[in-house]
Amino acid sequence: MKKLILRWEVLLLALLALELIIFGMINPRFLRPSSLLFGTSDFVQVGIVAVPLTLVIIAGGIDVSFASTVGLCAITFGIANFFGLPLAASLTVGFATGALAGLLNATIIRLTRLQPLVVTLGSLYMFSGAATVLSGVVGANGYEGIGGFPAAFTGLGYAQMFGLPMPLFVFLCFSAVLLVLLHMTRFGRLVFQIGQNEDAARHSGMPVFRVQMWTYVLTGLAAALAGLLLSAYFGSARVDLGGATLLPAITAAVLGGASIYGGKGSVLGTIIATFVIGYLQQGLQMSGVPSQISSALSGALLVIVVAFRHGLALLSAIIPVRPGQTN
Amino acid sequence: MLNWIARDRVATLLLVTIAVLLAVGAAAPGFLAPSTATMIWSNGLVLMLIALGVFPVILTRNIDVSGGSVLGLSAVTLGLSLNAGFAMPVAIALTLGAGLAAGAVNGVLVAVLGVPSIVATLGTLGLFRGVMLIATGGEWIEELPETLKALGAKSIGGLSVMGLCTMVVIVAVWAFLRARRGRWVMVVGDNRAAARHLGLPVKRIEFLAFVWGGGMAALAGITFAAQIGFVPNQAGTGIELRAIAALVLGGISLLGGVGTVAGVVIGVIFFTSIDTALVFLKIPAYWNDLIGGAMLLTVLLIDGRLRIALEARDRAARYHRGEAPTPQSKTLEDAA
Repeated sequence: MKKLILRWEVLLLALLALELIIFGMINPRFLRPSSLLFGTSDFVQVGIVAVPLTLVIIAGGIDVSFASTVGLCAITFGIANFFGLPLAASLTVGFATGALAGLLNATIIRLTRLQPLVVTLGSLYMFSGAATVLSGVVGANGYEGIGGFPAAFTGLGYAQMFGLPMPLFVFLCFSAVLLVLLHMTRFGRLVFQIGQNEDAARHSGMPVFRVQMWTYVLTGLAAALAGLLLSAYFGSARVDLGGATLLPAITAAVLGGASIYGGKGSVLGTIIATFVIGYLQQGLQMSGVPSQISSALSGALLVIVVAFRHGLALLSAIIPVRPGQTN
Repeated sequence: MLNWIARDRVATLLLVTIAVLLAVGAAAPGFLAPSTATMIWSNGLVLMLIALGVFPVILTRNIDVSGGSVLGLSAVTLGLSLNAGFAMPVAIALTLGAGLAAGAVNGVLVAVLGVPSIVATLGTLGLFRGVMLIATGGEWIEELPETLKALGAKSIGGLSVMGLCTMVVIVAVWAFLRARRGRWVMVVGDNRAAARHLGLPVKRIEFLAFVWGGGMAALAGITFAAQIGFVPNQAGTGIELRAIAALVLGGISLLGGVGTVAGVVIGVIFFTSIDTALVFLKIPAYWNDLIGGAMLLTVLLIDGRLRIALEARDRAARYHRGEAPTPQSKTLEDAA
């Protein structure tokens, strides 16, 4: 029982509940089911990229390039659509772009054995540059969007599934798949083992590169998913669609309990952390706090929570633990 | 040749930069002029200062991605205090104070609380930007006094006051890293546990590296405000990543302990000269990121492969030496 209460996910859930109660007291309209439910469309794209990012981080890597992959996939989809490809083919183009972007990251990291942060930093620039250049191809210069999507596609952004808004439904399905993949399959075990000790994993014959490659490819695919959902939601594909997901997504993964050194983390934690961050922004906005202050507060939240976790670890290292209490 | 390219990153990059500049000069006449050199220098000043700030942090095997927000925060401090009627020296002191304080926050989080530096500085990246926006109320700061703009204008031999300041900083960092205490920074990054066992104040060194990073970002903020003449909300956004990319290009290892000031300078100049060259070649500005990113990845790829090839060769040579006595002893056995 004590172990259950002290689990990080439970603490996060308590934080989320506390947040909802506080914002509900400030502005009762915030707690209306419809605003809670449909407000999620503004932030679930953060969760969609944060969940596979959690896998990347657990496997000992990091990916910062997804922020521009989102825009790049939206643009390639928009271009395919612009040249008259059927919707299904255009969607495939978008997803293929995402998968290729992930594959490129993984391959370069493998070939150079460099730190993933450096490599994905380079591809962050390259992908956003490629998206900007590509959007110029169809005459949508700079940061103008590519529009003119079929109604069947833009309708998706506002469609409902079992009473849930489409983006939220997609997010929950996608993260459910990854939850099973990470915590209940052989592949998931490999992800954790590689993050714990990459050399040990390699020496015991585990397919280190293949597993890491899949985590990057999944992130690329998720970025494509987020980009397509956002294009449907806004009705146009823009280069900078994913720019605002970079920090919140890494924050969500870290807040959700993923260790930046690899080997630790959970999909469930990231999902809850996504809602904590998303509702924090939204609640602050509905309480009349300007958006600049809410961005400061979510930065502060990350710092405080992580400092709290590390402070706790520091404290437990200083205070001697009675024998038998250690686990 | 292979050896030399892999081991002397700075010289290689210098040659590549010169080759690129010559190629651009051949394509766009009028590019190869002294005025271009001073232009590249002044265009790269802000990036240079941020990179010089992150440099010691990376040497200690940490990372600081909050530089852009600290730049914005200190530029706003400068603008607000100048517009409130403070004298220039007071305003600059306040600005540097703001930068140092921001760096100290990072330092406390990383060195004292033990938060991983990438997480801590990502958090403060959002935090400082928010504090900056709260201070300005989301408005741009305009109508900065001419005395401030004079700091960024070319005055002495084609260089601005801030340009000269940056040169002084470069020399100071170079001298510091050659000094005894400067080596300590390298030691901490190279092997933290060993540095601790040697009795070095590891945490204090890490803390001071972050404080230095904050101070340099404040200097970059002053330069930014002086060059542009106003402070927009997004001042400095994304520059921290460019600075890290430039450092990596200049051969500074993110694994700590490896890097030279010359590498920092040449990395920044390489990045800036590509941007400047694109202007001369009349390539639209939106190609910048694609070309810069592709170049960075190519350099990393070539460099990484070269290093791996060298390591493999060294290892093969070692094995070879190990095997060498065998045929000899065999002949001895045969003879016996």
